Amino acid sequence: MIILNALVILFLGTGLVFFLGGAVGIIRMPDFYSRLHPVGKLDTLGIMAMVTGLALYNLGHFSWETLLVSLKMMLIVFFVFLSSPTATHSIVDAGIRAGLNPWSKSRKD
Amino acid sequence: MKRIGLIVVILCGAVLLYATRDFPAWGDPASPASTHVSPHYIEHALQETEVPNLVTAVLADYRSYDTMFETLVIFGAGVACFLLLRSFGARRREGWYVRHIPTGVVIHFRKRPRIPHSRFFERLDTEWVPHDLIIMTICRILLPFIQLFSLYVVAHGDFSPGGGFQGGVMFGASLVLMAISFDLRTALSRVGERILALLAFLGVVLYGGIGVLCMLLGGEFLDYSELAKILPVHAEEARALGMIGVEVGVGIAVTAVMAVIYVNIASAGRHDEGL
Repeated sequence: MIILNALVILFLGTGLVFFLGGAVGIIRMPDFYSRLHPVGKLDTLGIMAMVTGLALYNLGHFSWETLLVSLKMMLIVFFVFLSSPTATHSIVDAGIRAGLNPWSKSRKD
Repeated sequence: MKRIGLIVVILCGAVLLYATRDFPAWGDPASPASTHVSPHYIEHALQETEVPNLVTAVLADYRSYDTMFETLVIFGAGVACFLLLRSFGARRREGWYVRHIPTGVVIHFRKRPRIPHSRFFERLDTEWVPHDLIIMTICRILLPFIQLFSLYVVAHGDFSPGGGFQGGVMFGASLVLMAISFDLRTALSRVGERILALLAFLGVVLYGGIGVLCMLLGGEFLDYSELAKILPVHAEEARALGMIGVEVGVGIAVTAVMAVIYVNIASAGRHDEGL
């Protein structure tokens, strides 16, 4: 039980760190493309860690119902893991096709 | 002209706002809406229809007539979109583009080429389209799950939030996703324009047909309990089954109309390329 709770806290803490990094990145990054970087990577990883932690916590009172709920949560993780980076990829693609140049330190515009 | 329109809008808005003062308070148990039929629905819906989801019971059984014409409105939207946008004339174009997939070389033709039907050549839209291998692969993985979930939403509308409209919109969205991630021609080769039109019609006819069937069995229009005469269930369960039937009809119609509207708008009615 203590081991399970420790694992849950570890996962939730990891997710918190990733989400925090993502939030700071969206505000602090200089341009469109670099802002999409924290969205695509850190938020996906954050939601993976968070939901995995919650699914483990849900297994604390083990029964078939809680196992089913936990499996559904892991399915959500799976689909977010597939779709969120793909969405980011296609947004970047659209930005490049629309002619937006990446930011560079020498050329401020 | 614009100013007159603005004045009319402001006047109408003011009248409407003034009229809202006469509305009963929100959630007032003594208001006409809450004293007339709502208590009956809330207290008896589960026994009478065997559907745990009250909203579905009211929407698809007690007030089924409303829902049928909502479906008809959606069908009308699809037909209007078709009639307004569809054009059969050829687009004035600079040429056709064909990509040789293994080398990535794009060939430009002045006249319409005869593209060999092989996996090494693909026709491109006039606007340059890159290899979207990632998006295509992921959408290919996700599409069956989206469609399966939308069918679940339709079929499970009696027990949980959902139903024909929501499930149909999700299924239509999966067709739109296919048109975006591959191209319009791929999506249309899977579900053609005629099939879409037929499906939209079929959904409405399924809804109305269940109503007429109830009439033929001796009841009133859309009185599903009469279906118990031809189904091996008792009257309450027949009402639940009738609801599933009309939800399926709604789902089919909404799916087809979503796809028709998207295809016509994205390709400006030409159905050859777009987005």
